[in-house]
Order: sequence, then C-alpha cells, then structure tokens
Amino acid sequence: MELLAALTAGGLAGIGMWLLLDRNLIRVVLGIAILGNAINLAVLTAGRFAGTDVPFVTATSVPPDPVNPLPQALVLTAIVIGFGLFVFALAVLKSVRESHGITTTDRVTEVTEEAAPDQEEPGFPSGQDDEDRVHAPGGRR
Amino acid sequence: MLSAVFAIAIAALLAPMLSARLDDRAGWLLALAPVGAFAWFVSCIPVVAGGDVVTASISWVPALGIDVAMRLDGLSLLFALLITGIGALIVLYAGAYLSDHHHLGRFYAYLLLFMMAMLGLVLADDMIALFVFWELTSIASYLLIAFQHERAVSRRAALQAVLITGGGGLALLAGLVLLGIAGEGWRFSNLDVAAVESHASYYAIMVLVLLGCFTKSAQVPFHLWLPNAMNAPTPVSAYLHSATMVKAGVYLLARLNPTLGGEMGWSTILVVVGATTAIVGAVLAIRQTDLKRLLAYTTVAVLGQLTMLIGTNTTYGLQAFVLYLLAHSLYKGALFMAVGAVDHSTGTRELSKLGGLIRFMPLTGAAVALAAFSNAGLPPFFGFIAKEFAYAGLIQMGIMGWAVIAAMVLTNALLLAAAGLVFIRTFLGPRGHYPREPHEVSVPMWLGPMFLAIGGFVLGAWHHWPETWLVNAAVQVISRGAVDVNLYLWGGVTPAVIASLVTISLGVIFYSFRYQVRRHLALWRGFWIVSGDLVWDRLLKRLFRFAAALASNWQHGSLRLHLTLLSVVFTAAVFLGLVPDGRSLLIGGEYTPLNVPAMVGCLLALAGAGAAAVMRGRLALVAALGASGLGLALFFLSANAPDVATTQLMVETLTVVFLALVLRSMPAIPGVSAEGRLSRVSHVLVSVFFGIAVTVVLLVAVNLPLPGNIAAWYMENSYPGGHGGNVVNVILVDFRAFDTLGEIVVIALSGLAAATLLGGGKLTAMTRHGEPEFDSVLLRQALRPLAGLLVLVSLVLLWRGHNLPGGGFIGGLVAAVGFILVVMTFGNHFTRALMLTRPTFLVGIGLGCAVGAGVIGLLAGKDFLTGMWIAPLGLKLGTPLLFDIGVFLTVFGSVMHMMQRLAGRAT
Repeated sequence: MELLAALTAGGLAGIGMWLLLDRNLIRVVLGIAILGNAINLAVLTAGRFAGTDVPFVTATSVPPDPVNPLPQALVLTAIVIGFGLFVFALAVLKSVRESHGITTTDRVTEVTEEAAPDQEEPGFPSGQDDEDRVHAPGGRR
Repeated sequence: MLSAVFAIAIAALLAPMLSARLDDRAGWLLALAPVGAFAWFVSCIPVVAGGDVVTASISWVPALGIDVAMRLDGLSLLFALLITGIGALIVLYAGAYLSDHHHLGRFYAYLLLFMMAMLGLVLADDMIALFVFWELTSIASYLLIAFQHERAVSRRAALQAVLITGGGGLALLAGLVLLGIAGEGWRFSNLDVAAVESHASYYAIMVLVLLGCFTKSAQVPFHLWLPNAMNAPTPVSAYLHSATMVKAGVYLLARLNPTLGGEMGWSTILVVVGATTAIVGAVLAIRQTDLKRLLAYTTVAVLGQLTMLIGTNTTYGLQAFVLYLLAHSLYKGALFMAVGAVDHSTGTRELSKLGGLIRFMPLTGAAVALAAFSNAGLPPFFGFIAKEFAYAGLIQMGIMGWAVIAAMVLTNALLLAAAGLVFIRTFLGPRGHYPREPHEVSVPMWLGPMFLAIGGFVLGAWHHWPETWLVNAAVQVISRGAVDVNLYLWGGVTPAVIASLVTISLGVIFYSFRYQVRRHLALWRGFWIVSGDLVWDRLLKRLFRFAAALASNWQHGSLRLHLTLLSVVFTAAVFLGLVPDGRSLLIGGEYTPLNVPAMVGCLLALAGAGAAAVMRGRLALVAALGASGLGLALFFLSANAPDVATTQLMVETLTVVFLALVLRSMPAIPGVSAEGRLSRVSHVLVSVFFGIAVTVVLLVAVNLPLPGNIAAWYMENSYPGGHGGNVVNVILVDFRAFDTLGEIVVIALSGLAAATLLGGGKLTAMTRHGEPEFDSVLLRQALRPLAGLLVLVSLVLLWRGHNLPGGGFIGGLVAAVGFILVVMTFGNHFTRALMLTRPTFLVGIGLGCAVGAGVIGLLAGKDFLTGMWIAPLGLKLGTPLLFDIGVFLTVFGSVMHMMQRLAGRAT
C-alpha cells in the first residue's frame, strides 16, 4: 500500500508540476488541483496505513487494530481548504480573462505590472547638469 | 522627569488641533510645555550642582534587562536646559515665522516630537532607550527638513540627511549592543570600564560608536547633509541643525568619553577628524554668499572643534568643550533666528543684496551684534572664555596640541570673519537692494534671538554663575577624573591669550580682504568639485542601479521561472540529502498488503490526471479531472478512511461543477506543442524529477518506524475525553479544534475573495430562472425532492458525525451540493428566498458559533475551546457540537456565496 501510494503521489505531483509550468492559465489551475491531491495523498501516506479497523470507537470498546486517525483529520480539512484555493485560482483565471482577455501566464505578468508612479522622481537628478541646477552646492559659484 | 518628556509628547499630539482652532496664537499655548519642563530642570540645578543625580525608570523589556531609564546628571541637565529653553523660544518664533503656512499645526507637531525625542536622548541612561530616541530625532529631522515637500530640493535634502544619519544609527546600534555585552550592563551609569577596555571587541565598539556620532554631528566626510538641511524652514535650522540635534553626536561622545576615552586611538581619531572638520567647515563658510548656508558651515566648523575638544581629554579641553557647547548653542540659535527674521523682512538672504539693515530692524540688529561678538570670541562674551579655554586645553596636549592650535587659530579667524559678514555686512554700511521694503519683525521673532544673545553676554560677564551651577557638574561627568573648574576672563598674559590676539588680528585681516580671500580660495577648483554633493549623488545612483539589477534578476515576475527554481531546489535538496544516505528505498519497510480497490483507485487517479493534462476538449478535461478525484476517493475508502473519502467525493463533485461553469466561457486550450522544443523538454524533466523526489521522500519516511503513540492516545481518549465515537471528527472539533477554527477562517476568507472575483461579467436572465441547460419541466420536478433530500441528509450527517462518518465539513459540502442543484434549476432569487438569508450572513454565524463554542469553555474557567457537555433528557449536547454547526455553516455559506456569484453570469 505504502509503495503504491508513494508512487501515485509522486506521479500526481509530477503531473501537477508539469501543468503548473504550462503557459496556459487553464492548465495552471488544473495543476493546482492535481498537486493538491498529490499532497493530500502524501500526508495520509506519511501516517502509514498500518491497521485493519476504521478509527471508530464505542463507549465500551476500542478496536484492536485501528488505523492512524490523526492524518485523516489533517487531510480532511486540507481537502476542503484545497477546494477553496482551487476555486480562488479559478476565480483569478476568470477575472484575468475578463479584464485582459488572455489566458497565458507570463503575458499576464507583463500586462498587469505597471511602472511605479514615483519611479521618475525629480528629486534624484539623472545627470550632472541637473545636479548643478537643483541644489547649487557651496563650492561652484 | 518622565512627565516632562510626556508633557511635550502630549503637546505634540494636541498641536494640530490647537493650531486649527487658535491659528498662530496656538504657539503661546504650546510653548507652555517646554517652558514648564525648563522650569522643572532649573529647579533641579541645585541638586545636580551638588553632585547628585535624579533618576526615573519604567520597566520596558524586563527579560533583557532593558528599561526606559532616565538619569539627570550635569551633562544631561545642560542639554535639557538648552533643549527646553531654546525649544520654547523656537515654538514662539515658528508661530510668527510660519504664521501664514497652511500646515502650521503639523509643523508644531513635528517640532515638539523632535523636542520630546531629543530630551529623551539626553536623559536616557539605558543604551537601547537612547538609541530609540536617537532614531526618533532622525525621523523628526527628516519630516522637518522635508516640511516644504513640494520642493524637490527639500525632499532630496531630507532623504540625504536621513540616509546618512540613519546609516550611522545602524552602526551605533551595533556599537551599543557590543558595548552593553562588553560592559556587562545596559546602563551608561554602571558600565564596567575595565571590562570594556580589556574586551576583544573594544576597537569594534569604538569604530561603530564613532561612526554613529560622526554622521549625526556632521563630521567630515559626513558633513554634507548639514548645509543641505538648510532647506528646512529657519526655526528648524536654528533648533535642530545648530543648537540641538547635531549636538547629539558630540553629546554621546562626551557621555562615552569616560568609558572609551582611555585609549590613545580614541583621542587621536577625535582630534584629527575634529580639526579637519573645523578647517573644512570654516573655509567653506567664508565662501558662501547665502547667510543661512554660511551659518550652516560655521556650525560644521564648531562641531568639529567640539569633537576635537573631547579628544584632547585635558582639564582645560573638557572645560572648553562644555563652555563652547553652551556658548555656541546660544549665539548660533540667535543668529539663525535673526537671519530668518532678515529673510522674512527683506525677502532675501544673499549677502550681496543686504546692508544697512540696522536702520530698519534695530532690535534684531542688536541681538545679532551681541551674538556675533560672542561668535567672534571677543571679550567679555561667553564665546571668548570658551575660546581661551580651548587654546589652553590644546596647549596642555603638548607637541600635537601646537600643531592643532595653528589649525584652530586659522579656523577661529575665519569664523570671526564670518561673524563679521553676518553683522557688519548685513546691518551696517550702505543700504542694500532688498526685494521687499524691510520692517522690524514682530515680538516673538526678535524675542528669541535677543534672549539668547543677552544670555551669551550675561554668562560671560558674570561667569561665576555658570561655573558654579552648570559647567562644573557637566565637566565632572565627561572627564575620567575630577577636574577643578575655575572660569576667568583674564588670567594674565598666557600663551592662550596670545593665541587669541593672533586669532583676532588674523580674523580682522581676513574680513578686510574677504574678496581677495574668496578669490584665492576659488582657485582651488579641483578641490571644490570633489567635496561637493556630486559624490553622494553618484553613490546613490549606483546603489539604485545595483539594487534594481539585483531585484529584477530575482523578481522577474515569471511564474514559470519561479516554479522551476522552486522545484529544482526541492529536488536537489531531496537527492543530495536523502539518496546518498545509503538507505534502501524500496525494501525494508513494513508495508501493509495491497488490496484491489486501492490499486484501481490509484490507477484511476493517475490516468485521470494524465488525461486532464494532455486533453484539449474542455468537457473531456472536466470529466478526466473528476475521474482522478474519484479514484483518490476510492483509495481513501480502501485505506480505512471513510470520512476523508466522503469529503474527497463531495469536493470533487463541487470542483467539477465550478470548473465546468468557468470553463464554458473560456477559449479552447491550445496543445502543449505550441511551445518551443527546449522549454518543453526542460519542463518534462523538471516535473519528472519533482515527482520522483516526492516519491523518494515518502518512501524514506514510511521506511522508518512511526515515532510515538499519538494514534493510540487519540483512540483511547476519544470517548472518555471527547464523548464521540468518530475519532477523526473528535480530533477536528475537540482535540484540535483551534486548528480547525483557523482552517474554517481560511475557507471563509478564500470564499469571500473568490466570490468577488467570480462576480465579473454580465448578468443574464438565468439568474432569475436557472441555467438554460436545466430548462426542462421533468428535470425541475425531479430535482425538487432530490435537493430537499440532500439537505436533509446533510443535517443527519452533521448530527451523527460525532459518532459515525459525517460531521460539519461533510454535512456542509453535501448541503451545498443540494443547494447548487436548486441554483442551477431555479435561479438565484428562488434560492435566496429558500435560504431566507444571504450566504455571507451564514458564514458570519458559522464563525460566530465556532468562536462562541470556544468562549463557553473560557467562561467556565477552562482554556479556550475546552469541550463542555450537558445531557438534558439523556440527549448529549456539548460545545463540540456547536463548533461542528459552526463548521457546517461556514463551509456551506462559503460555497454558496461563491456559487451564487458565479451562477448566471456570462462573459
């Protein structure tokens, strides 16, 4: 089981990363979902699969050979949060498409990044002539 | 003492409001704070003069032994009197000088903030407190220099000042921390001098502290910010950049002189740097034609002399330091304020346009005359005594002293000529060509200079008074041994008197031949080019270019390069760290036996993901991704994790719905082959190795035995401690409920953020009537009971979740699936009517329930989120159930919020 799970997690992670590296934003979003699945599986695997009973107890008895419940609890919330992240990525994809009409990654960066408004600060003169004009230091009269 | 600092801080806070209400009259009210503090410090004079100190302290960081400790000794008292006394005059002066400025209130606030910081600096006994106040003065100075921020020159000057003094401040911090470690204490008053001197980092401490002090006190080569700081309004120049702030550096030098001054290197550095600064300042001063810049350079010169006098470490030298400090603050403050008055009155500060002003401004003129005499060092003014003692102190140094004396005579002669320029050239002689018709300035504007100038005269003529009450106590603080203080105006024909006579005659010659002097100085053109601001600007420009190059190489904005780097580093770390370990990866662990559903699930997961990765049809892609998720759910089920499997199943369903709704407005996905061959190959390689690395990490992990028995603990304590049979659910809502609380907050936030972005596009008719694809009577009739059933199931899942598979997460997701069907078939309006409220409201209620469940435990006197149970009529109710309801509502509300925003929009 562990070997199978490790191989599957690795395979999913590889596919997820490959999709994340794609130029197309739709594939990137899918990559997020698949990479998330891979990591959930990996967390569960790290808790081992030893045990034959489901983690349920009754008022009187504890099963003799239960599986580890802690990674299950961690993964359960991780799945729901992963869904939240996935929908957020989808939302970004949708709004990028609506406001810029494009769906490629590096192009998005190019379009959305504007130069900082104060980049051409007049307080930092660019040439020696400007320096003379702006603040006439003591020496040169 | 603390209340003096607080009073000024409060005045700073009130200043903008008062100024808005009272206009320029606010100055009189605000000046009460420094005047009150001044009065208090005056009342302390007898105590301190008697050799005692006043202390006060508030605990700050007790774990590190750092307090806001204050200690009033002779040196602190001298500074405190100058700061509050001159400060009060400056506040009044500023009210008149800037009376028509629309940001006068802000100006008062900055000025009083500075006053508070400076007062704290000189009173602080704790090194860290001193550093904090030190930086505050730099910040206040930045704000004040940039007060007229519309002008690029002011902004540049302010930035230059804060960068230079701030850079020095960093060095100072390092120096002080080292000093605290070496001296075994954070108080200046109980540093172990012997331990510091023998400590290995003694020289590092010295250099770092000196860097801090030299930048603050504008010593060569850091002097260039001070003349530029003259772009600030004149009250600032008078107060910060001549009388007080720039003296913070020499203050600290004096304060540490007993600790660090035992070494020859300390004296040598101080004397050499100080003397160089003095000469450079004086020479540059005489070349100026702008009165304010002229005064600024004389300030640089005097700061150099003060540094040098500390370095002499002779009895006369240290007395001269204190005298000179006092004298300079008085006359320079007066001269700056008077120059401001001249500027205010005539509209110019250019020497060539001024002259004969005494006729128009007799009171200002008189004040300038008195201050200039003190500046020139003529008897019987205080400046004369200071200069006499300075010469005497240098003579005490021996051979080196004589060399320095020659430099000092030259400097003082140039300063005398500068004083002549300020008084004779401006106020006497023929009438100048003023841009405006001059007039005498108002009371607050001549009051300050007059007070200070008369002070310089009185202290000189009746010198026994300062000797007894101020100078003596201050000198004892800065010297390493007791010093006998005895001031005199005339001590017979000593070498010092002769040096004074030479100075005065040389000064008169310089003044008479000032045009020739300037012409000769102008010939050294090469020197002036180097010493200007040019170096600074080039340095700054290079630095910016360097930073830009560095940043753009790493913050290039390409997602793919960032990801590549990330995964390559991860892969490399795994292979370098784990593989050479020699452990067998594939055998050795105790693996549990395979079962068929698990294999099928894994194959389905991989195949689905692989298909989703390469397919171009959008519908097929959605289906493939769904299949992948279902495979994973199957695997979870076969691994004895029913709750996880159910969650995965519901999430996968929702994923498919959201993906389909978004993708229907997207263009077709181009094939992977659209990219270049090289990047395609490299992407495949990066991903393959990333996947292998993940597998390797997992295998290495599972081959080791699981440490601890936390699983067994949860199993055993689930029922006795959490009253629940479903251990996974008990962990979520009881044992690790705080964790879950954080997670549902994340879900709520991501839901809110995503919903905002999903709401783009046009509203269509289906918002009212459901999606067109669901427009069939049969479907509608069939979906109605199904949706109702799903909601019912979800409530059952929520209720029984504590003992059987289910719980808030699963219940919330199932309910959301049910309601999504309703949204699809009947539209948003119907759904909203059915839900009775907005989804965001549900999210709020849910988070409230979860937090409330925690608070109940808190109210019962236990820790936050402790489970509390009651059992009315045999029905077990507890806070974990309330918490689970919170989870349910949060998850349901978030999903519904996103869905309602997304549904019914067309792009």
